Amino acid sequence: MSDKLTYAQVNRDIMRPLFSPTMAWHGLMALALLGLAIGGGCWAMQLVWGLGVAGYHPPVFWGVYITTFVFWIGIGHAGTLISAILFLTRSRWRTGIYRAAEAMTIFAVMTAALFPAIHVGRAWQAYWLFPYPNQRQLWQNFKSPLMWDVFAVSTYFTVSTVFFFIGLVPDIAAVRDNTRGYTHKIYSVMALGWRGTDRQWRHYMAAYGFFAAIATPLVLSVHSVVSWDFAMADTPGWHSTLFPPYFVAGAIFSGCAMVITLMLPLQKAFKLEAYIHTWHFEHLAKLCMFTGGILTYSYGCEYFIAWYSDNPYEWGTFSDRVVGKYWWVFGTMALCNCTIPLLWWFKKIRTSFMGLLLVSIVINIGMWFERYNIIVTSLAHSYDPAAWVYYTPTYIEIGILVGSFAWFFTWFLLFVKIMPAVAIAEIKETLRPPLKHDEEAAAK
Amino acid sequence: MDGLNRRDFLKAGAVATSATAAACAYDYKVPQEEVLPYVVNPENVQPGLASYYASLCNGCATACGLVARNNDGRVVGVEGNPDHPTGPGLCTRGHFDLIGAYGPDRLAGPSENGATLSWADADKRMLDAVTAARAAGKTVAWLGRYRTGTAAALLDVLAAGGMRRVHWEPLGVETLLAASRAAFGVDELPVYELSSARTVVTFGFDFAESAFGSMGMRKGWAKAKNPAHDGFTARLVAIEPRLGSSSIGCDDWVSAAPGTEVQVAMALAKLCAATTAYAGPGASLLSSVDVNAACAASGIAEARLAEVAAMLTAAPSVVLPGGPGTQGADATALAVATLLCNVVLGNIGTSVQFGRGFRPGQVNSYADVKALLEEAAAGNLGVLFLDGVDLLHALPPATKAADALARVQLVVQLADELNDSSGANTLVLPTGSGLEQWSDASVESALHVLGQPAMVPLHDTRGLGDTLLALVKAAPAAGPASEPAPVVPVPAEGEAAAGEAAAVVAPAPPAFSIATAAAAAASFGDLVKSRWLALVMPAGADPAAWWADTQATGVSAGHPALTNVLWTAAALPAAGAASSGDRALVLFASHLGDGRWANVPWAQELPDSVSTFFWGAWAEIHPRTAESLGLGEKDLVKLETDHGHVTVGWFGAPTVREDTVALRMGNGKKTGRYAKGRGANAFSVLAGEADPASGALVLTSRVRISRAQGESGVHPLCGSMNQDGRTIAAVVNAADAVAHVEGEAQSIVPIHHLPTDPRVEAAGPVDMYPEPQHPTYRFSMVIDTNACNGCGACQVACAIENNTPFVGPDQLRKGRTMNWIRMDRFFEGDADHPDVRYLPALCQHCAHAPCEGVCPVLATYHNLDGLNAMIYNRCVGTRYCANNCPYTARRFNYHTWEWPESYHLMLNPDLSSREMGVMEKCTFCVQRVRTVKDSWRDQAFASREPGKPVVMEKHRVPDAALQRLTACAAACPSEAIEFGNWNETTSVVRKVGSSPRAYTLLGELNTKPGVRYMARVSHHAAPFGGGHGGGHGGGEDKHEAPAPGHGAEHKEG
Repeated sequence: MSDKLTYAQVNRDIMRPLFSPTMAWHGLMALALLGLAIGGGCWAMQLVWGLGVAGYHPPVFWGVYITTFVFWIGIGHAGTLISAILFLTRSRWRTGIYRAAEAMTIFAVMTAALFPAIHVGRAWQAYWLFPYPNQRQLWQNFKSPLMWDVFAVSTYFTVSTVFFFIGLVPDIAAVRDNTRGYTHKIYSVMALGWRGTDRQWRHYMAAYGFFAAIATPLVLSVHSVVSWDFAMADTPGWHSTLFPPYFVAGAIFSGCAMVITLMLPLQKAFKLEAYIHTWHFEHLAKLCMFTGGILTYSYGCEYFIAWYSDNPYEWGTFSDRVVGKYWWVFGTMALCNCTIPLLWWFKKIRTSFMGLLLVSIVINIGMWFERYNIIVTSLAHSYDPAAWVYYTPTYIEIGILVGSFAWFFTWFLLFVKIMPAVAIAEIKETLRPPLKHDEEAAAK
Repeated sequence: MDGLNRRDFLKAGAVATSATAAACAYDYKVPQEEVLPYVVNPENVQPGLASYYASLCNGCATACGLVARNNDGRVVGVEGNPDHPTGPGLCTRGHFDLIGAYGPDRLAGPSENGATLSWADADKRMLDAVTAARAAGKTVAWLGRYRTGTAAALLDVLAAGGMRRVHWEPLGVETLLAASRAAFGVDELPVYELSSARTVVTFGFDFAESAFGSMGMRKGWAKAKNPAHDGFTARLVAIEPRLGSSSIGCDDWVSAAPGTEVQVAMALAKLCAATTAYAGPGASLLSSVDVNAACAASGIAEARLAEVAAMLTAAPSVVLPGGPGTQGADATALAVATLLCNVVLGNIGTSVQFGRGFRPGQVNSYADVKALLEEAAAGNLGVLFLDGVDLLHALPPATKAADALARVQLVVQLADELNDSSGANTLVLPTGSGLEQWSDASVESALHVLGQPAMVPLHDTRGLGDTLLALVKAAPAAGPASEPAPVVPVPAEGEAAAGEAAAVVAPAPPAFSIATAAAAAASFGDLVKSRWLALVMPAGADPAAWWADTQATGVSAGHPALTNVLWTAAALPAAGAASSGDRALVLFASHLGDGRWANVPWAQELPDSVSTFFWGAWAEIHPRTAESLGLGEKDLVKLETDHGHVTVGWFGAPTVREDTVALRMGNGKKTGRYAKGRGANAFSVLAGEADPASGALVLTSRVRISRAQGESGVHPLCGSMNQDGRTIAAVVNAADAVAHVEGEAQSIVPIHHLPTDPRVEAAGPVDMYPEPQHPTYRFSMVIDTNACNGCGACQVACAIENNTPFVGPDQLRKGRTMNWIRMDRFFEGDADHPDVRYLPALCQHCAHAPCEGVCPVLATYHNLDGLNAMIYNRCVGTRYCANNCPYTARRFNYHTWEWPESYHLMLNPDLSSREMGVMEKCTFCVQRVRTVKDSWRDQAFASREPGKPVVMEKHRVPDAALQRLTACAAACPSEAIEFGNWNETTSVVRKVGSSPRAYTLLGELNTKPGVRYMARVSHHAAPFGGGHGGGHGGGEDKHEAPAPGHGAEHKEG
């Protein structure tokens, strides 16, 4: 860190968005609210008229909604990976980015959690998916991967949120000390009486380590469980033991790309270049290159197994993805996930603003299409050829997809407005502490 | 807050809470209804329990018997009458007729120009018009569909009184009747008995669908094809330009150039005559036949024709006449030529029977209709009664029928709904559904079917018979009507000889005068009864007992002696001239028939058996022809004849000749909320010419075809044209099938998808979970795809029984059919040798059901009876079950499906309703299963020894009570579906399902289905266990190796 930075300067820089949001922030917020209105309107129409307003074409019973659900769950992976795993491995480059990445995780999971409710036929009964005591003595089917999903996602959300708020405590205290009035009261409550004593720090760091340890397995488990929604089913194209590692790799790939997509504009908009450096992004890009490699290998594996198994259903589905009517989905996926990210092998590209931003957006698009490719093409080309169909989403589904991004960004924009987007305390740890003789030297 | 004390706060809180609770408790989706009990319970009516009435199917002239199920005053289901010779089973038309009874467009009462009249006014209007016409010296005429029985007798009376009477249907029998007259001088139709024929040659006869008498023929055909029935599998040779639902499962398609069928039939007769050494009176016709010329003209290789002739002469056979697709200007000549083939083959009296008096009453021809219209056009028609025929839809514009009808002073239409023929001068007298009125029919001299009303009329309608009676009573005494000859049914052969002796010694029945009886009858029902008592009742029977008995069975059937007929024709009947154009145009009838069912939404929605298109009209074009025209999948084609043109979507069917275009008839109507504006009217392109010999409407033409602007609205429901190398609908070799009729271990079905591994095979299938227990029942179904021709009767019956809605063309285009049965249709073979396969795919009720494990809320589960049960109320709608069903058998309620109020009366009250957002699927008609089980349990409890518990295992429902229990099994006209308890080792379903032809769908997934399929038997399929079948249709080339686990004891390879 630069020697010029002082603790006070850090506080000022990072808390600036909290006190003086720019026009850009207001503009983005307005856009997000508009998108939210579109999505909400579309969902309202769907609730009234039924799921038929979506493009479902049996046997494609799952479409854009589950695709988007898996997409957001995947996005939600990078945050905890960066904050927990990199914390445990003492990778110091997480400092500048982990707070925003964690927030992204929580908001992504919150976005994903909307989709089971949007997707089911009777959204008003969606709470039946939770086991709760009831006088009808009804219980859930714990054999169903969807049940596992409910637990995996809710556990992940709970742990991530707690972990996030624990990480926030010292920073919230810093904000508290800079506010007045009722905001001061709110921040005071959230700061849990943090005074920054040694004793508090000791306990805090122990707790933080424990939560990091608890959160770490969840990074691997939640997307493994989500992948079981597919892998446990008998549908050709889904029924594969490869899915859990393949999905986890894909999730980290898309999550890191999303962190880049979000943090680059954030860095520029709030002038946080002093805290979030290009080498942060380069590290993320390298993580993407690594997981993207795993992903490409997995794609190859799927095809090899489909061919090698000599299973006509399996091979039928996989060859149809390439040469069938959905070739463009497969093509988009392969181009965006396997080919374009190769540009990052050039240091010049992975360290340039536009190079990072564009490729990361491309990866996000590619990962959405990957899930679309897995879900839709497999269902559309299942066992009985008489039931093969072509599914096209409707404007309702597109509207809800847009709405989901708007929902996510609304939360994210609120987050940068009310919470420090970079971990103040951890940044300060990396600085030279303010020493008495420095002050004396300064006074002279 | 000062004004609010604790008590007020609590009060306000209580009010708010109750209001919220009340608001939450109100569910707008649940209709608020009142339940009112009977004040005085009608006798013999138990609310919720159905009554059954034997009645007459009004779906077509064939007059099958049906049993109508009346539940709380409304008929909610129909099934074939097992006492009728063609029962059990009921084809699509019988079911459409039931739906038609609840049509929303039905008239509430008599109407003229949109105004509703009282019956008194309507009768006055009608009778005044008749009187005025008579006074003015104008003709009073009747034009309607075929009528037999008492209604025909009343028409005889009216005809004797001077009414001109024409009976015509667009898909009529006039050519066949003319052929019988020309060939043998008899005035009846031949009965084709297919069950013992080993070779059947058809020239386009729609024997399994639209032909008169199809029910009997398709049952015979199903028997002939079943190797277990008589130890052989019949072979079907189709000589026609387009394969229709009757011939689509043919073994050999020897397609002749359109218009050359007569030559081919004569050449075939000559070739057969050479073998059979036929030297009868028909031989003179054969001397001039040039086989070489016929082959050259038709494009059939001589060797191929000789092969067909050899097949015909080698074993019992039958040659069937032409049908709609071959009804050209030489239709009668073709029918005569096929009769000659049968004469040459010695089939008369065996597979082609005369003497049964088989005909749908008076039959007139299209030429007669034209003559009547000419009279109308000349202004000489005072009153025209139109009975059931939508004249302006079925007659080509070239006939100028609209102008002619407009010049009639009064057209009295006897129809329930307005149709294209209803004009400004039309008085519509709604007759009501066949289920609401008395009727009877008799299409054979010893076969009488009683049509009892099965419910009170829904609207202010009056039966056709009662209107006829009103006419007869009002007519001036017109002298004695021609008496129908007394017909006494001879008891069936199996019955005691004493019965026959009694019939011989019985005195002649008293003379019966229909005119006298009509004058005395208070209603048509009375008249039917008195006529039946006089003419049908065997002499000496107790009238009251006999009538009660007849009402219960609905049928009086006997076996008349067959008569020998002699060939009398000296030459083939003359043929008319053919029209010009690039390609031949043939019309085909699909589910809408001649347009009669166009306003029945379930009929519009039922996918066509060839294209799986729905809700519209389309052309079938050979894929190569389409390619040469550069047609894209969504292009429209314009079909232009010399007399008109239509623009329709198209389907690339390898089942039409390259030089032929087939056009669906039935749509393109101008009236009816479901019929209006759907596709084009196929009749509108016809010239309106008649076959000179019989006067039949020529249904073929020549056509120019071109691509048209716009996008086609028709779309297939079936995803893939073929099976993509998979074996969904399997075929087996005929020789194998005949050699191995019994023994499951001897499986001859060549299904093998997954690669083999000796270790896996040694271990056998591994189950991760124990197999579910089925202590008493394992309900199972066996579907014989060998008997299935994809007619869709099971689908319609299922829709009616299980209240599955129609979803409309837009939703159906997204594949959102709610029908629980999907008819898989596959074109195997190549474009020159189509091998079409059908497989009715429904929930397989797997013991290891993939759907059950994945439902998060346990809304679907396996019950102790082997049913895969569905709890609609518990379903959240994740649709995971549907994804995981390899058979795609589940249906999702995407919307609150809405239909007009009138269809609510048709709903089966025994079912749970399904709201928007829940999954549903085939339940094996669980409501029927429960009813049977409950009644059996009640009997067991009633008969138990006092003080001892009932052991339910000992009181299993016997197999006879379970057979054909489900709606689909009860409906299948070919009796291809068996239902029963697999646990019962002697059950029919177990016996049939253990056949070597049986296989489970996608059996390698180890889902342990409760449904088994029987492979179709093909004469061209490769023999099991290696070797190559000759010709096409092998289909299983990829999987010729013996399938381990399927044929361990069957090692020929």
